[in-house]
Amino acid sequence: MIRLSPQTVRQWQRFRSIRRGYYSLVALIGLLIIAGVAEIVVNSRALIVRYEGTYFFPTYGAYLPGRTFGLDYSYETNYRELKAVFEAQREEAASRGGPDPGNWLLMPLIPFNPYETDFREDAFPPYAPDIRSGHYLGTDITGRDIFARLVYGFRLAIAFAIILLACNYIIGIAIGCAMGFLGGAFDLFFQRLIEIWSNVPFLYVIMIVASVIVPSFWALVAVMVIFGWMGMTWYMRTSTYKEKAREYVTAARALGGSNLRIVFRHILPNTVSIIVTFIPFSVAAGVTALTALDYLGFGLPPPTPSWGELLAQGTANLQSPWIVTSVVTAMTIVLLMVAYIGEAIREAFDPKKFAYYE
Amino acid sequence: MKRLIFLVPVLLVACGPSSGADDTAENGAAGEEILVQAETRLVANPPTYESVPLPEDLEWITNDEDPVFASPDAKRGGTFTTYLTSFPLTLRMHGPDSSSGAFVSMKRANYLSLIDIHPNTLNIIPSLATHWAFDDDKKTVYYRLDSRVRWSDGEPVTADDYVFQRDFRRSDFVLDPFGQNYYTNIIADVRKHDDYTISVVHAAGKPGNELLLETAISPSPRHFHKLDENWVQDYSWRVEPNTGAYQISAIEQGRYIEFSRQQDWWGDDLMYYRNRFNPDTVRIDIIRDENVAFEYFLRGELDSYVFGSMPARWYEKAQGPIFDAGYAGKIQYYTDVPQSQRGLWLNMDDPILSDRNVRLAFSHAMNIDRVLTTIFRGDYERMPQQYVGYYWGYTNPDLHYREFDIGMADRYLDQAGWVQRGPDGIRTKNGQRLSLRVTYGTDEHSPWLVVLREEAKKAGIELTLQLLDPSAWGTQVGEKKYQIVMLTFGVNLTPSFWQGYHSDNAHKPQTNNITNTDDPEIDALIDQYEAATDLDERIRLSHRLQVLIRDTASYVPLWKVPYIRETFWRWLQLPDHLATRTSGEVFDPFGSGLFWIDADIEADTLAAKEEGRTFKPISIVDTTWQVE
Repeated sequence: MIRLSPQTVRQWQRFRSIRRGYYSLVALIGLLIIAGVAEIVVNSRALIVRYEGTYFFPTYGAYLPGRTFGLDYSYETNYRELKAVFEAQREEAASRGGPDPGNWLLMPLIPFNPYETDFREDAFPPYAPDIRSGHYLGTDITGRDIFARLVYGFRLAIAFAIILLACNYIIGIAIGCAMGFLGGAFDLFFQRLIEIWSNVPFLYVIMIVASVIVPSFWALVAVMVIFGWMGMTWYMRTSTYKEKAREYVTAARALGGSNLRIVFRHILPNTVSIIVTFIPFSVAAGVTALTALDYLGFGLPPPTPSWGELLAQGTANLQSPWIVTSVVTAMTIVLLMVAYIGEAIREAFDPKKFAYYE
Repeated sequence: MKRLIFLVPVLLVACGPSSGADDTAENGAAGEEILVQAETRLVANPPTYESVPLPEDLEWITNDEDPVFASPDAKRGGTFTTYLTSFPLTLRMHGPDSSSGAFVSMKRANYLSLIDIHPNTLNIIPSLATHWAFDDDKKTVYYRLDSRVRWSDGEPVTADDYVFQRDFRRSDFVLDPFGQNYYTNIIADVRKHDDYTISVVHAAGKPGNELLLETAISPSPRHFHKLDENWVQDYSWRVEPNTGAYQISAIEQGRYIEFSRQQDWWGDDLMYYRNRFNPDTVRIDIIRDENVAFEYFLRGELDSYVFGSMPARWYEKAQGPIFDAGYAGKIQYYTDVPQSQRGLWLNMDDPILSDRNVRLAFSHAMNIDRVLTTIFRGDYERMPQQYVGYYWGYTNPDLHYREFDIGMADRYLDQAGWVQRGPDGIRTKNGQRLSLRVTYGTDEHSPWLVVLREEAKKAGIELTLQLLDPSAWGTQVGEKKYQIVMLTFGVNLTPSFWQGYHSDNAHKPQTNNITNTDDPEIDALIDQYEAATDLDERIRLSHRLQVLIRDTASYVPLWKVPYIRETFWRWLQLPDHLATRTSGEVFDPFGSGLFWIDADIEADTLAAKEEGRTFKPISIVDTTWQVE
């Protein structure tokens, strides 16, 4: 049974009272849930197909070849075409006066996946936003749906940011805490190491890595962690030093508490406010970092859906303004929400209740 | 965490369009970090060679009858600014890293050879040699050198420099297997008869014009090259004396390369060189992004811009105020040349691709037509096969590309044992997925490769796209570390099969046999082809080889672009006939060098731009050399 401390409850109430931060959190969680189940909302696979009395749920799981539904190919069914086929069958049956074959399917809200290219006969991509074709935000220069790429790109960027954050914080907190707690030679050694390490030109390393291998998701995370864990150490070191000198730590030590117990039971819980206030900004930084790398071409390889790649396309094709508008708007909204949340958390954790942040 | 937040603005600013040129211009003016050393006489006692007697009664041939193709109105002067997307890995003419990238054609163009080809008539015209003569053995060509020719450092070019070229290119220190082979197995010998007469012996013999073209070697400055085991490293960034109209005069690593016109060039008064190579300075900025480069052009910081690929660009970008007001113009110029071999090349040493059925399936799974009709707006034509447009009947007209046909692809893959399909629809065999990697060197190719990738899924083939930095891509091609590579080979007037398909060049790095073709039947035919001196026999062998090479299914032909499209500022002036049958670019400072910069028009245009005055829009489509 988790029992929240009165302080945490107060902080939570305080957070809720800051409206825009609270609603941003709700909205962002909503977006994360949608992104988590993006296959149901944005996908070229149908949600439900009823074919000759059997129900199919193609969304998750193995692909269903066209032959499953009486089409003449063995590659993945094109469900948008299948829908048209079913409709034609129904009309034909109706015109013959026969019984309705009862075949139908339900497509997701956005019936495209982020990879497929959807060309028209009468025009060349990129296609402008158009309700009838289902491309609500238009397509990019290869005819891929921008909405689909935004959604899947968001999912990837957020996942990247969260994994990056977790890794950076685990390393940063562990080392920073150890520096502050142990002090002495250990502290000195890591101080110098971090100073030197911080001066390695990170961008060059990324460029070199990107020119030698095609950076995968995990390779990018690894490189970013290797050069990003230092940020948290300084804050943790300072606050650990401060906490270590407090009477309650001395008391715990006098009672025979081991180092581990002191760190985990006493010091860490008291530094949590520092960690929590940094989290939203780290997420924002992670998202922008991946976007920037993709924009520069050092990020994930094509055709991975990515905001940076869309941004690059958009800026290269300003005559098709819907590309750049979509991605810039999406990015602004998400970063703004994260910033509002961060602001609210910071205020909620602020012991000086009557300070104002405007 | 602060670090990450901080990083992003830095990244974006660093690549913004406004940074590069301004800084570059500033540094250039300040004269900093310029890395051109003047000293070229690095060898105290350059080698000299023994003269051998010249046969009597040779019939010396020259050509001063073909029309000149430069304009008598051309004016000298001005600076022509163009760009490259990556900085060259070396300035050396030979050795590792010296033959990849766009810079190569620039340095080679200023490195003339004994004779040249007339760009319109395709007849042989004099260059470094004034006359030539054939020996009865059909292998030896005698050349009478032009005694006016000077290296760019003022040293005379003599017969010794040509004989030195033979020893130089054969040297192990140069690390250039292709050159070593060429100067051993194609050029059997180079002999000096007197200071200004040489003969070049072809190993196998060839029909007339081809014999001339293959023996038309270039000299190397023997007073410059100190050949030892350090040569590759020592000479990477030295500026080698050359014979062309331009020489590198300034470099800033990673930023720009500047060529200056030789003020007193030996060729200035010669019939076919007069009125050519007109700008005083050619500056090559490094602009790493094509779109940014075009923005530079729009701002007038580049004088011309070549639309290499992506018709969408031509239709959507090459318009706007500067074109409407006539400050800049557009030209589409049809040419008639052997078509570059643009294609997807399959590495047959790869375990998956060593199976011919897989290669055949791959060929049938590539929906190039869809790419052409959508991404490329129907502007390009599909290459029927690898060897298109060669002169003198060398092209086999009966060959055709493999159509996109999922049924055929399925059949071949079933035969090859890739029968199962995984949950994502990709075929598998013994637990391995049929995933093939396409390696390519510029982001421009991503849009159409993405289309191919989606279409190939239908056959159960997964394409993974490996986009590399051009330099890294070049290195991978050199080392043959790819499964499939997107690559365009420049071509000669007649096909050369040995470098691309002989087993001599298979399974080793730095050769042009990029498919690792290793087939005794092809080898035998190539040997016969290389040995044949009769034109008809060579054509017959060429046709047969094209069939056999097509049968390996190691090449998927893409498309051909039978014209050049460029935009240019109106101060660039052209001759009446604009360009030539064989032009590679209309505004090509080094190759044909026909255009000139009119300073008065430039001043007038800039003034007009300032005042809002306009001119008649310029839009030229020239079909003089269009092939029906």
